[in-house]
Amino acid sequence: MRRPDWAPETIDIDRPSAARMYDYFLGGSHNFAVDREAAQAMLAAIPETPLIAQANRAFLRRSVHFLVEAGVRQFLDIGSGIPTVGNVHEIAQAIAPESTVAYVDIDPVAVGHSREILAGNDLAVAIQADIRDPDRILDHPEVLKLIDFGQPVALMIVAVLHYVRDEDRPTEIVARLRSALAPGSYLALSQASGEGRTSAEWDQANAVYQRTDRPLHNRGRDEIAHLFDGFALVEPGVVWVPEWRPDSSHAFEEAERAIYIGGVGRLG
Amino acid sequence: MIPDPDAMPYPLATPGYETTAPAVPDAGGGRHPQSPGLAIFARAWAKAVTGTSYLPVTPAQLEEFLEGLTIRLVEALYAEPFSLRRGYQIGAALVGAHIASAEGLGRTIEVIELHLLRDLGLAGDNLRDRMARLLGCVAIGYTRALRDRTLDEQESIRRAAMVAREHAEQALRESEARFRHQATHDPLTDLPNRALFTERLEAVFDRDGASGRRLGVCFVDLDGFKMVNDTLGHHAGDLLLTSVAAKLRRGVGEHLVARMGGDEFVILVEDTTCTDDVLKVADAALAAISEPSIVDGQELHVSASIGIVERPVAGTTPSEVMRAADITLHWAKSSGKSRWELFDPERNEREVTRYALSSAMPAALERGEFCLDYQPLVSLCDGRLLGVEALVRWRHPKLGVLGPDKFIGLAEETGLIVRLGSWVLAEACRQARHWIDLSPKAPFVSVNLAVRQVRGPGLVNEVTSLLREHDLPPGRLQLEITESAMMNGADESVDILRSLADLGVRIAIDDFGTGYSNLSYLRTLPVCELKVAGSFVEGLRAPAAEPASLTDERILATLVSLAHTLNLTVTAEGVETAAQADRLRAIGCDAAQGWHFGSPMPPTHVDALL
Repeated sequence: MRRPDWAPETIDIDRPSAARMYDYFLGGSHNFAVDREAAQAMLAAIPETPLIAQANRAFLRRSVHFLVEAGVRQFLDIGSGIPTVGNVHEIAQAIAPESTVAYVDIDPVAVGHSREILAGNDLAVAIQADIRDPDRILDHPEVLKLIDFGQPVALMIVAVLHYVRDEDRPTEIVARLRSALAPGSYLALSQASGEGRTSAEWDQANAVYQRTDRPLHNRGRDEIAHLFDGFALVEPGVVWVPEWRPDSSHAFEEAERAIYIGGVGRLG
Repeated sequence: MIPDPDAMPYPLATPGYETTAPAVPDAGGGRHPQSPGLAIFARAWAKAVTGTSYLPVTPAQLEEFLEGLTIRLVEALYAEPFSLRRGYQIGAALVGAHIASAEGLGRTIEVIELHLLRDLGLAGDNLRDRMARLLGCVAIGYTRALRDRTLDEQESIRRAAMVAREHAEQALRESEARFRHQATHDPLTDLPNRALFTERLEAVFDRDGASGRRLGVCFVDLDGFKMVNDTLGHHAGDLLLTSVAAKLRRGVGEHLVARMGGDEFVILVEDTTCTDDVLKVADAALAAISEPSIVDGQELHVSASIGIVERPVAGTTPSEVMRAADITLHWAKSSGKSRWELFDPERNEREVTRYALSSAMPAALERGEFCLDYQPLVSLCDGRLLGVEALVRWRHPKLGVLGPDKFIGLAEETGLIVRLGSWVLAEACRQARHWIDLSPKAPFVSVNLAVRQVRGPGLVNEVTSLLREHDLPPGRLQLEITESAMMNGADESVDILRSLADLGVRIAIDDFGTGYSNLSYLRTLPVCELKVAGSFVEGLRAPAAEPASLTDERILATLVSLAHTLNLTVTAEGVETAAQADRLRAIGCDAAQGWHFGSPMPPTHVDALL
């Protein structure tokens, strides 16, 4: 009689999905006409959106790299979205094949697709859950099968919290997740800031996302830094994502226009 | 993923190129341009494609990959004969490395065209022609791979959406099924609930309503469940209900057992052939419930009462069946619990009539539907009319005139007896006054008192004011109480009777000899008359020679003698024949009442006797 844990009430693919729009910005084709139409409206508002999405995705890649190098072998990726190119398990398992990854997303289609991608990979799993219900994630049997919270875990909250309203208390959500982590765990987090862009650009962008399943809630740098409360930030701290341990000096020319701010913190 | 290009005819190429193209790129045939120009070119290429789509590699990895691809480009450029396939493969390799966008292709062609020959210092015959053809092949291979990739991704996301939708629909169905289960089952015992039972019962009527089929219903209620709840707590009560529910379900087999609420259960026995079928189920249910239940380590023994209905489906309704079962359950409870009772339509009919009478009585009293008849009490010495006993009648608008046996019991149950008794008393006093006014030979009037009247606080005042109101000599009023009323009487009753006697009112014991005939109260009570029950007088109808008749006569003679010793008079009730009257006179009985001396009659008839 138990309801399948990732099955939502309804599947509405007639509405633009933020996850599939993000895939489109990264150059993927895991999207539908409604998604592409909304994505093109976003391009009209902020033409560099694809570069911005790529910069954020590159931040994810570099942070996972960093975390594997730091010795972490367990990854809890909340808001993993459509598994497009360069997923956490691909990056981590390429370096340390024993790495385990639990993907969590609210979008049932994204989760369905993740499961397809992960078929045959015993060290990675995808569940449908809402970050606003952290206990459900932390207690989820499939998560617990792969993630031992007694050992260090890399908590990935990359490009997610700008979909969570202030009323839903993102700081408390992160704090609850942090409370489950063992010392030596890390938080890698990025989110859209309201900075570096004109209010006209934001008005247009917000209008686009208002039509999607996930309206935007941008936060300033200070608020984003607050999300790392309890973690010791690793160098270079909370920065524009292209500036976080770049591969080369010329990776992104105007970092302050990259919208995403993020960083990595370690739990003492 | 990428089809073998050699298998597909290239529409713009001459047939010769295809057939001579080698299956494996000729690594040894071309020049190996390991010059500084290679790195310069690869860096320019990397820069050109960076940002065209997300590349999951570091810039250094990208340059390394493109250096390798540059070598393959140069080899293809010089390969002899020229191979289309090498160009296709380079295009596909770019897409495979996620350099997969329109911009990625455009910039690749631009950077190769502008920089490859110059950066690597390449020269040769027909090199420009070969370059054009190579770039064409790279673009074809690239586009094919990109299209395939796009189609694959589209298929994959559609499949994911479809699967997600299927899951959502399945979840919806499951939650609907769960909701349906919750809506139709009792959460404590998981038995079907009232709603499901009603649904099933109605389905039986829909299906069998016009057939000759029968059905049975057992309405089960635990005995003393409230005490378990009150003494052991609700938790223990819940555990007991769960245990009983499980036993019932096991005990009655395939029949539907539902919990109606509280400690009430109901069993639906479909398609019975006769009453016995449902009696067997009821017996099984009682046996199952009587097995001890272990609750919180204690062994609890409970019993149950069951009301059973078994009848043809046609001609009744679900609510009639349930009402009948409920009524029958109460019969089982009131006849001692731990048993079943079977619905009896005649008994029910009687009870319905009783109920109807009972509820109509207060209004009937208001409307004046009650009246009094009077039966003569006659002296056995001289045949004189001594008194009359007032007997109440109900002139029911539909049922006709009803005697007291039809409604006094009901009035006692409902408590209306007090008001009715007051009315009788008042009416009898009024009538007594009327006869006094009419004739010097006016009889006293004897009125029956109910137990409740004797126990009530106001009787003395009531009688006092009636006597005063009608200016009635107290000796003209006799109050009859039954032996049993005295037996159960408390001291207050005795005090009340004494007060009444002190007023001068006559007190008679009615139906003497049918109760315990306790003689001690005759000593203490201010009684002036004994009315001997008709059952003794009945014996006097038989010839005096019969032993039984003789026994009754001796008992009567002894009673008369005893009464006279105590200074009491004796009236014999139920005297129907002259022979009875003669024998009673012979043993010294003072007065008599019965058909022989006159049936109960309207007061106007009494007028005629005066």
